Amino acid sequence: MTPEREQELLKALADGVVNFEEEAVVATVNTALEEGIDPHKAVFDGLVVGMQECGRLYEEQEYFVPELLMCADAMYAGLGILRPLLKGDESKSRVKGQVVMGVVQGDVHDIGKNIVKMMFDAAGFTVHDLGRDVPLENFVEEQLKTESEIVALSAMMTTTMVGMKDIIKQIKEKNPKAKIMIGGAPVTEEIANKWGADGYAPNASNALQDAINMVASLKDI
Amino acid sequence: MTSKERVLSIFANKDADRMACFSGMGSVLTASLDEYGYKFPTVHGDAVKMANTAAFTYKATGMESVIVPYDMCVDAEALGCVMNAYENVNQLLYPTIKEKIIHNEEEMTTIAIPDKIWERGRYPVVTEALSLLKKDVGNEVPVVAWLLGPFTMAGQLMDLNDLFKLVFKKPDLVNGMLSVLTDLIITMAAKYREAGADIICIREMGATTDVLSPRNFKQVIDPHLGRIFANIGSPNFLHICGSTNIVMKNMQASGADALSVEIKNNLAKSREDIGYEPLLFGNIDAYSVLVLGTPEVVEKATIEAMEGSVDSVLPSCDIWPEAPVANVKAMVDTVKQYGAEKWARKNK
Repeated sequence: MTPEREQELLKALADGVVNFEEEAVVATVNTALEEGIDPHKAVFDGLVVGMQECGRLYEEQEYFVPELLMCADAMYAGLGILRPLLKGDESKSRVKGQVVMGVVQGDVHDIGKNIVKMMFDAAGFTVHDLGRDVPLENFVEEQLKTESEIVALSAMMTTTMVGMKDIIKQIKEKNPKAKIMIGGAPVTEEIANKWGADGYAPNASNALQDAINMVASLKDI
Repeated sequence: MTSKERVLSIFANKDADRMACFSGMGSVLTASLDEYGYKFPTVHGDAVKMANTAAFTYKATGMESVIVPYDMCVDAEALGCVMNAYENVNQLLYPTIKEKIIHNEEEMTTIAIPDKIWERGRYPVVTEALSLLKKDVGNEVPVVAWLLGPFTMAGQLMDLNDLFKLVFKKPDLVNGMLSVLTDLIITMAAKYREAGADIICIREMGATTDVLSPRNFKQVIDPHLGRIFANIGSPNFLHICGSTNIVMKNMQASGADALSVEIKNNLAKSREDIGYEPLLFGNIDAYSVLVLGTPEVVEKATIEAMEGSVDSVLPSCDIWPEAPVANVKAMVDTVKQYGAEKWARKNK
């Protein structure tokens, strides 16, 4: 495959995600694989680039949640074919880290969490997804069980975010090294600081970047 | 002037001795649960408890409204969803829906409002609480009832992922369902007024622009809000939390008597878009300021909102119940003190 052809295919993958064209993404992935593309490249320089562009469009209020959900469908359609081909090739994965993720008890809104999860999935994290309406102690238990570097908590409403405060406290007591990120519509940087969270992300692409930095900082130590 | 006369005057002729400090969102405080010895999960299904705790906030802080219900499951439950009140959880949690009634596109088209819906679920609890409040404090403060807007209500009835994607893929299908829910809202607003509500607040928080684009807002929110406000009588207002600046003109076009926004709304920018004529309420952060703040912090935030051109000071959302009585009182007292001199409408 010529470098030009490879670029063309990668761009088609990214564009397919951005324009939420599930079928086009699947077709392009299949073509690209037939022509011998490196599956890692297809994921990280194709699909993920597209998702990052979606994140940018969201920040610029070009895209909103429905658009992101459809982009996510397109990305997962491609990832479903490519991911099995990545296995056993860990040396090439760009980030290695584990994250426990869930929506706190009392909150059944998991769209934000699912979008963040997708970014983490795509970037090569191992995600332990606890789902939504998750009792506080489950986060603590899962973190200890999996020894995940990061715990990411989400809440969609002012009336549900307060539960995060106790989870942060309990996790920090049991494992001071675990990094905790919080996010969701009502959460602010001020609240994150006040509750002792290590990271606050106003949206999914920031969440991913923060997480990558956190894992990197842990590995440096 | 009583609080009731003041608030109703503001709605009726945009005038009063000063702006008011009230709400259209839940304002229950844990102080009232302690006072009466109630557990929070039991309050949502008991009209006496609901009315007592609603009146407490007014009696203890001077807040110029009494408001029910507290949770967002009332309508969904009446339509057949199953609610979780978290009775065995120690921390304070609001009820959520654990079983939804719409599972596919077909069911979106067949949803119908049962006969005498007001007798179903906890609607009778809410209407009884409204009547009790009317008798208890109805001469002094306005009784306020709120209903979810149709889009937010739809999110309680079906999977949100599906709903959001269908907004994009099949807006007509979504609009058909929202139209049925709009009928329900109009019906229940009338029942709530009959029971004693002076003011109806419609909360369409699912349509915040953190979530939905202005284009989608125009497609699936505008038409229904327009029909609701043309049919629920006055006074009424529309509250949308989250980011709202880029849909202020849509909110104004809904025909609501007043608009209420939260702290993420830039008030100056809103006035640029809708002018100074419409009533605009807001926008005290219901957690960071009212719970985490001190009375001094609350006073400062309240003055900022007033100087930001609101016509009455309202919390941004449901007050998180752990807000200290002293903080809520500081918000009310600051409005009492500066609510005339800092009312932009009066000083132009």
